[in-house]
Amino acid sequence: MHLPELQQQLISAIFQRDQLTAAAGLVKVQGSLSSEQRVGIYRNSAHGILLDYLESLYPVSLELVGTEFFGQTAHHFIDQAPPTSPFLADYGAGFAEHLAKNPALQDLLWIVEITKLEWVRHAAWHTVNQEPSDFTQLEALNEEQQAELRFQLPTSAYLLSSSAPIHSIWLAHQIEDYPDKLRFEEIDLQQVERVLIFREQRRLHQITLGTDDWDFLTAVQSKATMGELAEQFAEQLPWLFSVAMQNGWLPTFSTTKAS
Amino acid sequence: MTQTPISGCGIGLRFQHIDQILAEQPPIPWLEILSDNYLNPGSVQQDYALEIARAYPVTMHGVGMSLGATDPFNDDYFQRLKALADKLQPAWISEHLCWTSAHGFVSHDLLPLPYTEETIQHVVKRIREAQERLERQLVIENVSSYLQYAQSALTEWEFLTAVAEQADCKILLDINNIYVSAFNHNFDPCKYIDSIPVERVQQFHLAGYEDKGTHLLDTHGHAVSDPVWGLYTLALQRFGALPTLIEWDNNIPSLELILAEAQKATGVQAHAFA
Repeated sequence: MHLPELQQQLISAIFQRDQLTAAAGLVKVQGSLSSEQRVGIYRNSAHGILLDYLESLYPVSLELVGTEFFGQTAHHFIDQAPPTSPFLADYGAGFAEHLAKNPALQDLLWIVEITKLEWVRHAAWHTVNQEPSDFTQLEALNEEQQAELRFQLPTSAYLLSSSAPIHSIWLAHQIEDYPDKLRFEEIDLQQVERVLIFREQRRLHQITLGTDDWDFLTAVQSKATMGELAEQFAEQLPWLFSVAMQNGWLPTFSTTKAS
Repeated sequence: MTQTPISGCGIGLRFQHIDQILAEQPPIPWLEILSDNYLNPGSVQQDYALEIARAYPVTMHGVGMSLGATDPFNDDYFQRLKALADKLQPAWISEHLCWTSAHGFVSHDLLPLPYTEETIQHVVKRIREAQERLERQLVIENVSSYLQYAQSALTEWEFLTAVAEQADCKILLDINNIYVSAFNHNFDPCKYIDSIPVERVQQFHLAGYEDKGTHLLDTHGHAVSDPVWGLYTLALQRFGALPTLIEWDNNIPSLELILAEAQKATGVQAHAFA
């Protein structure tokens, strides 16, 4: 058998249990292990690597559903959606969607919201560094240019709105103490939470937003100009803008028209 | 950043220890950076790798090149790897003599090759291409294995030697992997060591395995075992006191414990030539 067919058979067995027997035919019979068991070691090893990775990516989801359920679901996910990229950090985006289809979680879909939050934290952490704009340049803008000015959220920023209190639940599962941390039993699971996540140097920020800040940052993310923001937020704008600047939510700006 | 010669017994850099290493700057002869974890340009991870490389001599060690695969090389992977190497200036880049991807899927695990002339020709061509892309000689590592293909016509050491000679690359001899595969396939690990050409070997790896009863599993989750230390002594006597690295990837202990294991390797080196 040539190498491409051999590799196809083995990789199929790694991601499809029912292909183990076929791949066993490639293997020399030796010792106390059957050929199928030898192929099985590779299936277990590859799945083990990916399971460890998913557990590291979704620690709170793991705690919420338990090790056994997480493991079963993860193995199923790995078989259904094997990695296709050599960059491991690219893997696992679809895990929340996979969990959402699980019948056992239909009354606990807030857990899936936590899984989405954990993916966003991972994605924000892996975003490339960003140089802030030179804000002294703003002084040189004329009135017309100022109206066309667009501020931007960090490239690592994600805005998540959830029907579940995702930030509070996530905090409740952290070992560290936080000022706004509640015990899980104290959290109202029906509460809506809006969260901003972004990376600043080697620190990941996760902040709950009030409706005004959420609306403002959503508008900024939609590439609204200063003129449009002024129209939408009227007298609230100076305050919203000031809070956003102080918190590092708007590190860059653009004076060119949005594409 | 300039390339610094590598010598002595180093350790594999792990995320858990980066802050401590940067803060305390313990005397470590060199560090092996797992390339695949630092390939995203401008990321926090790559910043850490650069900071480490400014403080210590480094080598780069990869798992994702898939040298033995039949799918075309991933251009993005090579571009990022080359860019990282240009920044870090490692003493060398090592990769495994195995495959990790086929037909668009990636196992992220090190899968063995059949030891045939056809495979030698294929892998030699791929290593040459990889060396051209990276503009440097590669160092290839023997992997541990749990199966042998029915069609294999050569021993693993014959295969490894032929590939290294024909591709004109160096060898990273993983002593633990030799021991694990020797147990799993019932061959003499000393014969393996004695058959590898001395001038090809650039570096040793040492790690711990797990005894599963029916087979040994290369988990990198334990201290180096006594039989592997014995085999290491034999390797030192044949190949000389080459740079040696302690790998620890699972159940990762404190930095102090891993450094103690590297110290133990230094002691074994001294004893091997006493």
